[in-house]
Amino acid sequence: MSVRESDLNQNLPCSANLGNYLWKDPPDENKWADCVHCGMCLESCPTYEQTGQEQHSPRGRVYLIKAVAEGKLEVNDQFSDPVFACLDCRACTTACPADVDVGGLIEEARGQIRQAMPLAGWKGTVSKFFLHGMFPDHNRLNKLGSLVRFYQKSGLQRAIRKTGLINIMPDHLVDMESIMPEVKEPVRKRYKNQKVIKAQGETKREVAFLTGCIMDVMFSDINQSTINVLTRNGNDVTIPDAQTCCGALHVHAGDREMGRKLAKQNIEAFADAEHIVVNAAGCGCMMKEYAELFREEPEWRDRAEKFSEKVQDISKFLHDTGYEKPKAELKTRITYHDACHLAHGQGVRQEPREILLDIPGIEMVHMPNADRCCGSAGIYNITNPEMAGAVLESKMENVPEDVEMISMGNPGCMLQMAVGVQKYGRNQKIVHTVQLLDWAYQKELDGKESESDENKI
Amino acid sequence: MKTKFKSNDRHIQQLADIVGGAKSILYQKEDLIAYDCDGFTLHKHLPKAVVFPKNAEEVSEIVKYCAENNLPYLARGAGTGLSGGAIPLNGEVIISLVRMKRLISVDLENRKAVVEPGFVNLKLTNSISDKGYYYAPDPSSQYCCTIGGNVAENAGGAHCLKYGVTTNHILGLEVVLPDGEIIQIGNDGILDQPGYDLLGLLTGSEGTLGIVTKITVRILKNPEGKQTVLAYFDKVEDGSRAVSEIISAGIVPAALEMMDKIAIEGVEAAAFPVGHPLDIEAVLLIEVDGIAAGIDEQINQILDVCRACNVREVRAAKDEKERERWWANRKTGFGAMGAISPDYLVQDGVIPRSKLPEVLNRINQISEESGLRIANIFHAGDGNLHPLVLFDARKQGEIEKALEAGSACLKACADVGGTITGEHGVGIEKREEMRFVFKDEEIIAQTNIREVFNPDNLLNAGKLFPSPGRCAEIKREMKEAAMSK
Repeated sequence: MSVRESDLNQNLPCSANLGNYLWKDPPDENKWADCVHCGMCLESCPTYEQTGQEQHSPRGRVYLIKAVAEGKLEVNDQFSDPVFACLDCRACTTACPADVDVGGLIEEARGQIRQAMPLAGWKGTVSKFFLHGMFPDHNRLNKLGSLVRFYQKSGLQRAIRKTGLINIMPDHLVDMESIMPEVKEPVRKRYKNQKVIKAQGETKREVAFLTGCIMDVMFSDINQSTINVLTRNGNDVTIPDAQTCCGALHVHAGDREMGRKLAKQNIEAFADAEHIVVNAAGCGCMMKEYAELFREEPEWRDRAEKFSEKVQDISKFLHDTGYEKPKAELKTRITYHDACHLAHGQGVRQEPREILLDIPGIEMVHMPNADRCCGSAGIYNITNPEMAGAVLESKMENVPEDVEMISMGNPGCMLQMAVGVQKYGRNQKIVHTVQLLDWAYQKELDGKESESDENKI
Repeated sequence: MKTKFKSNDRHIQQLADIVGGAKSILYQKEDLIAYDCDGFTLHKHLPKAVVFPKNAEEVSEIVKYCAENNLPYLARGAGTGLSGGAIPLNGEVIISLVRMKRLISVDLENRKAVVEPGFVNLKLTNSISDKGYYYAPDPSSQYCCTIGGNVAENAGGAHCLKYGVTTNHILGLEVVLPDGEIIQIGNDGILDQPGYDLLGLLTGSEGTLGIVTKITVRILKNPEGKQTVLAYFDKVEDGSRAVSEIISAGIVPAALEMMDKIAIEGVEAAAFPVGHPLDIEAVLLIEVDGIAAGIDEQINQILDVCRACNVREVRAAKDEKERERWWANRKTGFGAMGAISPDYLVQDGVIPRSKLPEVLNRINQISEESGLRIANIFHAGDGNLHPLVLFDARKQGEIEKALEAGSACLKACADVGGTITGEHGVGIEKREEMRFVFKDEEIIAQTNIREVFNPDNLLNAGKLFPSPGRCAEIKREMKEAAMSK
């Protein structure tokens, strides 16, 4: 069942105005009531680290958001700057002694700003094109993917790089272009006609898989790896057809209305699922927080809460339900980067590390400040390239020199870290945790095959 | 230096030119509002501007400009102070030192390090711990507070019982005086200079005598071993007796901390709970460190003392992880109050250890009289008590009630022979309470010292001493009396 249009467009009752927040769904007073202005969050914040300015710190942002509610400030550009300069990395929520939900407040404030000051001009057009036209529509995304594929395969990419055409793109887009992964066929297309992808051997559980937008178009091999490790460990996998974009990018951008629309569609699409597995930290975190979008719609809030309980990151799911330890060796030195929305957003830190350590032959090198944001932050690296670049630089300073791979659990980070590796002349390969596990399983299989081949001879 | 930055306000323009343009100055209301208070939130005032100098020379230029134009100004670090020392009461130009955050040098052989004032306290220990050294003063805000701010407030911390407060670890300072002159005090880390102890005078002067731009600190070798004990008491009296008996047994713990029932409720409801029972009246956290050989014996002694004092449960940390968890729970104690109350006011009294039960009783009474809950977090070993008055600023009249209750707690401390601040400073918060411990003449003697350094009182005016009205009168009388002689 799809969501009725009337459900989406109904004008929700406007809650009483909160100071200078004049639109529905204003920032939640109870969230800032917990903040006692102690400042323990300051050092956790990448934008405070870069600027040293308190309006660019979690404490400062919470204070500004509160000041608008108290009528001391208005919703204007000066207010918008620090609110939109936040990476939404949630490191402050980890640091906060009182568990203040700074991320939630920022998203709610952005919702107000976008209603007060809709993006105009080319920014508005671009944002509308991607957020409304592209991400929620997997056919269009696939076409974009095909285009990128064509671009890479046709030699056009080579030609453009060779002719220096790339130099006319803005710097940060050139960085992005040069690290675009080779695009393969999305799993949603590959398994289109397959209702259930059966477990190898006995079925222990059934899981529904959110393929994600970027993930399936740009990193479909990671999605394939995810399906492989799930089926290998006794899970039947379904890919509900009605699923859509998780809405994280929309909510981060202040478009909460679209966020709600997408959330509703996903809640319905996954209504029958017992477990919902996600391999993109950003999507997983958003889906665990759907209830936040429905503070003014109690019925949907309840459904969202039940939905969110079923959502799990692939590493946590494997860790909790058990997985077979691979027997083949991957001889490699790696390090692990905590995606913000995995570590700070979902509290998943040890699980992926344990999976990696269970792969024979993998040597883990500690990365200092592993849970520091890389600057990707959804599409932040496109909207705030200067700050994202500075944050990336300090991230790269912490990546150990002597490793071959950097493992992580989020596509945004993977693109950003790939930019970092390229920009700072490093040579690490960027991989998703689940890929390493899959490769180890594959190698085990290959080994067995060649063994049995040998036996034949 | 001329910059591209343009402003119609002459002062803003000139200040921006000194610090190098738009990225190093804030002057619009929306940006300034984050600077209208620090960790003490009961007084608020917008600054005129916030400037971000890169070095001592720029600080000196700013100070000279302010002096020439009669602009009040003050220095600010991370803004975690709890007595309002960095609040721009008079619409000051705030000189933020957070971009001066280099670790300039480490000299392990002579056990000292040189840092800029914006360098974060814990980062110093983190930078030298792999070599086996650390920086001892450890205020609970050490994750984010700056060493410059620590010098201004003479910050203490849990481990200052054995190792002393900030002033015991400062070997040299570079200071910009209110006339813009840059001076050095302390001689390359040699202790005990002849002449007056200017380091001692500057440390803890709460930003009223000069602005520190470089700090030489003492660093220490990591203790060979350390161990921590956790003890739960059904009665505060028993806990406090245990504290006294541990000290009188001749043990000098590195730290000896106590939290009462409401404080436990707060930390257990917040981000770093450890599972303290909620029905006890006191938890003690006792740490000993030093040469590995003696530690077990001291721990056994401590366990015995606790048992003799009717402890409900007592045990040593089973590993480093558990020890860290206990400390994270304790060190985030103030912020954790946010989980059980929208606002809090933390006080900072010092009392003779033996008076603890008496003072806690009095604080209970104050709580009942004011109708506000008061939690107690206590550096028990050195008698430094932190009553946390819980209130809700949105409720009419609660701020005033909280201030009154806080003041009454300090009075209780002063009345038993204690004092009004152990480590947070006087700032705005305890100006009037200075009268609990100093006579007018004593206060005047101190403002006379300030006048030597800061004659126009443009630097951080209105802090540390009671409002001048009465003092000025007395001062005039004193002068007249002296002249008539």
